Amino acid sequence: MGILEFIFKQILGQAYILLAIIVFIGYLALKEPLSKAVGGAIKTAVGVLVLGVGAGSLIRTFGGILTPISEKFGMTGVLLDTYSTMVATNEKLGEFATWTIYTMLFSFIFNIILVAFRKYTRIRSIFLTGNVMLVQTAIATYIVYRFLHTSMIPTVLIASAVMAVYWGVMSGVLIKPVKEITGGANFTIGHQQMLGSYVAYKIGHKLGKPEDDVERINFPSWLSIFQDNVVASSVILLIFVGIMMFALGKDIVQGMAGTTHWVIYIFRTGLTLAVSLYILLTGVRMMVGELMMSFQGISEKILPGAVVAVDCAAIFGFAPKAVLLGFIGGAVGMIVGVITLIAVRAPILIIPGFIPMFFDNATIGVFANKRGGWKAAAILTFCSGVIQVFGSGIAANAMGVNAWQGSFDWATIWLGIIAVFKFIGNIFGISPV
Amino acid sequence: MLRLLCVCGNGMGTSTILKIKLKGICDRLGVNAQVESCSAGEALAFASNTDIILTTPEWGNMIKYPEEVVLITAVNLMDEKLIEEKLSEAVKTHFADEY
Repeated sequence: MGILEFIFKQILGQAYILLAIIVFIGYLALKEPLSKAVGGAIKTAVGVLVLGVGAGSLIRTFGGILTPISEKFGMTGVLLDTYSTMVATNEKLGEFATWTIYTMLFSFIFNIILVAFRKYTRIRSIFLTGNVMLVQTAIATYIVYRFLHTSMIPTVLIASAVMAVYWGVMSGVLIKPVKEITGGANFTIGHQQMLGSYVAYKIGHKLGKPEDDVERINFPSWLSIFQDNVVASSVILLIFVGIMMFALGKDIVQGMAGTTHWVIYIFRTGLTLAVSLYILLTGVRMMVGELMMSFQGISEKILPGAVVAVDCAAIFGFAPKAVLLGFIGGAVGMIVGVITLIAVRAPILIIPGFIPMFFDNATIGVFANKRGGWKAAAILTFCSGVIQVFGSGIAANAMGVNAWQGSFDWATIWLGIIAVFKFIGNIFGISPV
Repeated sequence: MLRLLCVCGNGMGTSTILKIKLKGICDRLGVNAQVESCSAGEALAFASNTDIILTTPEWGNMIKYPEEVVLITAVNLMDEKLIEEKLSEAVKTHFADEY
């Protein structure tokens, strides 16, 4: 093995080493002490490997349910979960999965360049939501590779360009609405339902009155347990896994369960799925904390005073009840969507997850409530839930994966982007990989 | 050394940004602190090794934590100036010897 091959394949070809090196360099560039840089790099590597453990567990548990479903009903199951989608597209990219990390870096660099030339581009916000950046750039890389079959450099550059424009434009249109909601705070939302939030803000007043603010309504207090991510994620998966297992019938499930009683098996499978997602989350959190540290430091050095685009939960405090109502509206919409898919015998069976159900609709609920009160929030989040299910089904089908983001933008805007790349691929006679 | 814990919905976005901001704030206040972040669902598990929890009023109402832990809440967790004021006040009131 040559030395170059060793460096590129064995070192830079391993996501955990590559990301650790990036974090290490980031800390040194910010003139942090060496001990901190080494600590950050190690935490990043551990985080990526923890993520891998979660991914393995997810693929095992989820695969165990999907196979009998497709055998019995001829339906492909698709899990709506952010980090599972990254796992699925990275699996598809196989030995090229580290390309996604370069896409993340270049998307960030392009974002900074677009903001540096804000006079011409009118893009003012820097995307700093590391957890979202990591997932989105991974999926974008696979979209380009799947339909264009390009080599590393063009794949990374094309995906980064699309990504940076999406980040800049969509987080940019929310600057003013966020200012209105927060009473003048200087940040914007950089997440996965920016189009949905913007639409809700624009049409909310047509569906209700802002005076009917949801904050005046009293919800039963037990509903607040759904704001506990561990509880909510487990309950939601338990319900949907339960429905699927009941559809399979007692005999098949007992066959899968072995000596365990089938009811207990359903219970355990639902919870194990939640555990897999929880391990994924833990891994992502550990590495993303370190990455965001570098991103924030670097953007502040290069572009002091730029508007930062952060996680959607940053505005939840301003309308906590709209958050809860949005979640309920979205959940009902998703359930209606799933039942519809089953009723029309669609080839795709959607299993909603907590992240797109809660975070997207909570955010859309906050924007809708601001302009049209609880009526607008309820109607719009219901519609969003339905769109999330249908749009994600089409996207997952086009991408050939058994997990999809589920979030609003990835069931709308990105459906369009996928269609464009598919069309371009078709023109050149490239068959999807 | 003070142990601070940032809490948000998934323990991912908002709490991480807050964590980054807090490191700067602590430097300015001259407080020696170790900052961690987690989700509301996990807060109790972390809270026993924590001195101060920072979160929104809504999450603050929901999470359980030992009595000796000080809770700081703010509607806008991205407001660095407000967080700095609240933290400085809490440290002066409850942890004067750490200052």
